[in-house]
Amino acid sequence: MMNLIDEGGKRLDGRSFDQLRPFSMQAGLLKSASGSAYIEQGGNKILVGVYGPRDSRSRYGTNQDKAVLRCRYHMLPFSTEERKSPQPSRREIEISKVIRDALEPALLLEEFPRSVIDIYIEVLQSDGGSRGASITAASIALADAGIPMKDLVSAVAVGKVNGHLVLDLSDTEDKEGEVDLPIAVMLNSGLITLMQMDGKLSEDEFRQAIDLAMGGAKELREAQRKALVQKYFKEVDS
Amino acid sequence: MKGLVLDNLRRDQLTDAISKGRRLDGRGMSEYRKLEIRPGIIPKAEGSARVKLGDTEVMAGVKIEHGKPFPDTPDQGVLIINAEVLPLASEYAEPGPPDEDAIELARVVDRGIRESKMVDVNKLVIVPGKEVYLMYVDISVISTGGNLFDASSYAVVAALINTKFKILKQEENGSVTPTGETSELPIVDLPVSITAVKIKKGIILDPDVEEESINDGRLTVAYDQEGNLCAIQKGQASGLKVEEIMEMVKMGKEKVPEIREMIRGALEKNG
Amino acid sequence: MEDDKAGRYVLPGDFLGSGEYKSWANAIKIGDKFYATRVGVLEMGEDRIRVIPMSGPYIPKLGDVVIGKVIEVMPVAWTLDINSFFNAFLPAQHAFRSFDPERDELSNKFKLGDLILASIAKVERGRDSMLSLDGEGLGKIEEGEVFRISQVKVPRLIGKKGSMVQKIEELTGAQIFVGQNGIIVAKGPPESITKVKRAIEIVETMAHMSGLTDKMEDLLR
Repeated sequence: MMNLIDEGGKRLDGRSFDQLRPFSMQAGLLKSASGSAYIEQGGNKILVGVYGPRDSRSRYGTNQDKAVLRCRYHMLPFSTEERKSPQPSRREIEISKVIRDALEPALLLEEFPRSVIDIYIEVLQSDGGSRGASITAASIALADAGIPMKDLVSAVAVGKVNGHLVLDLSDTEDKEGEVDLPIAVMLNSGLITLMQMDGKLSEDEFRQAIDLAMGGAKELREAQRKALVQKYFKEVDS
Repeated sequence: MKGLVLDNLRRDQLTDAISKGRRLDGRGMSEYRKLEIRPGIIPKAEGSARVKLGDTEVMAGVKIEHGKPFPDTPDQGVLIINAEVLPLASEYAEPGPPDEDAIELARVVDRGIRESKMVDVNKLVIVPGKEVYLMYVDISVISTGGNLFDASSYAVVAALINTKFKILKQEENGSVTPTGETSELPIVDLPVSITAVKIKKGIILDPDVEEESINDGRLTVAYDQEGNLCAIQKGQASGLKVEEIMEMVKMGKEKVPEIREMIRGALEKNG
Repeated sequence: MEDDKAGRYVLPGDFLGSGEYKSWANAIKIGDKFYATRVGVLEMGEDRIRVIPMSGPYIPKLGDVVIGKVIEVMPVAWTLDINSFFNAFLPAQHAFRSFDPERDELSNKFKLGDLILASIAKVERGRDSMLSLDGEGLGKIEEGEVFRISQVKVPRLIGKKGSMVQKIEELTGAQIFVGQNGIIVAKGPPESITKVKRAIEIVETMAHMSGLTDKMEDLLR
């Protein structure tokens, strides 16, 4: 097993167990999109554009009662160590689906019947935890587009490396560690909208891991709010 | 792909201004929009650059792999350029495999780079006839604000110059392994792409999205360092007169040094 | 009631207050607590609570005057882009005195790319709305410069009983058409148009400022 925690209890990149990687978020930077956001978290660089609500009749899939939410998570060919083929992989298709399912519970889609809302997620550079960062950013972009929502959705992965529960896995920790457990949550209601896990945890560890994720999500939620404040109310504060 | 239907008030103003030798955004007929080039923005790629040309925004990334050469060029490295207009780039873009516009874009950029002999592919050989370097260059369009050809070409040129890759060697057992050293690409030219469009009787360079939507003919020309024309693509379903083409070529050639300096300047500042 | 919170800027998921409000907009009720669903400004009344949104699509309302762009000419109607998530139809009989599909060619009246000032005559949830030209000054806009503003800021641009747009017309000397859908056309000499552009930018960036109408004169200088 690779040594991922040093004697002083620090992780490879110097973080403590409950510490997020450096991150930054920005709202509304694409001119033609209804809403957009950019996030950097660790080595992740992710751009999200939201188009809609728009007419769904010329596109496939219509719902008479509410807007249809579509989501595409896509990695640019040069975003990874090995070049990634531009065709969508099975991994990207699954992640697109779970991200959509993580965001949809927050949205009040019945305000826009027979329309479609497209979320386009472009991973410019990938690192561990790109699906969580994508959800966090997409939530900002949806708020920027004015899609009504019950709450922002904030997401982060927790994991187990060398027997310790840690927050916000890096790429190496994800690959070499024992467990990867990404979680997305609407913090007001405490509802978890995404949960996946690879690896083994005891029931106690699992409970602790969720608490660890909640702490991280709170911190990310503050940053999501700041990004929106920066775009909409900046001149108010100054 | 459906596109912008420009409103007639705006269209009339645009064509009227151009017939008087002006442009609505205040630019001269040969003037480019603000060009920003940021090389090296994707550390995981061997080379990368993000280019903003007015509202147009493009990224290019270079990945270097190794493999068999093409049978007809056994002693040369391989250059492969792809382009994708990301669905977030405009309200008219759709996800899916590259459409004919994206394929044309990749091929036009490719010809400018290839025919200028910008990269000395003869030096990108590991074992002649067996193992060569493969340069994958991917263009990702982030925002379609007009003149994707030039913006994409500048991004690719900057990304190639920005590239640093691991030098490989073949072991006795045939496997290819890194030597531990890195290298820049053998760059021997710096081609510059210039796109002109005709609107009614006027000719302008670097059309924005509105100008592009009403153009009566487009010409993209790549110029090498010697001032030669090394690749041309005429676009749009309309005819251009020889004099108009020569005027476009002349305007382009006069513009080239300025753009080349901007690309060099951006690479030096960041490099 | 927590009136001190009124006028505050809110984000989706922000707690707005709790109490017996009878009506609410851009907010949801969970138990007896209210939370914002949009980015916007909070307004609280005796028995109502609402968020004035700062972003989002234009939703057509009956009677709204909008500026639409012809994007399709069909045999008996025009399709207009009204900057909303559905298009709008303008039936041919609104433009021809007694419309006869055999005789009347729609593109003789309005062509692809023409801008039309029209009113919303019919709205159905989840469908294209219908437009009408019944009303003073409605029809094709023959000249002018086109601007856009975020549709949520249109009420501010128009002002109370049109006070803001009148003020801007006064100060710039231009004639201004404001569509509720965020499309604006201004008519006048170039120096007027430059001022109108500036005025629209001021409203776009300072819409939250109180007494903006009175300050416009100074700001335009």
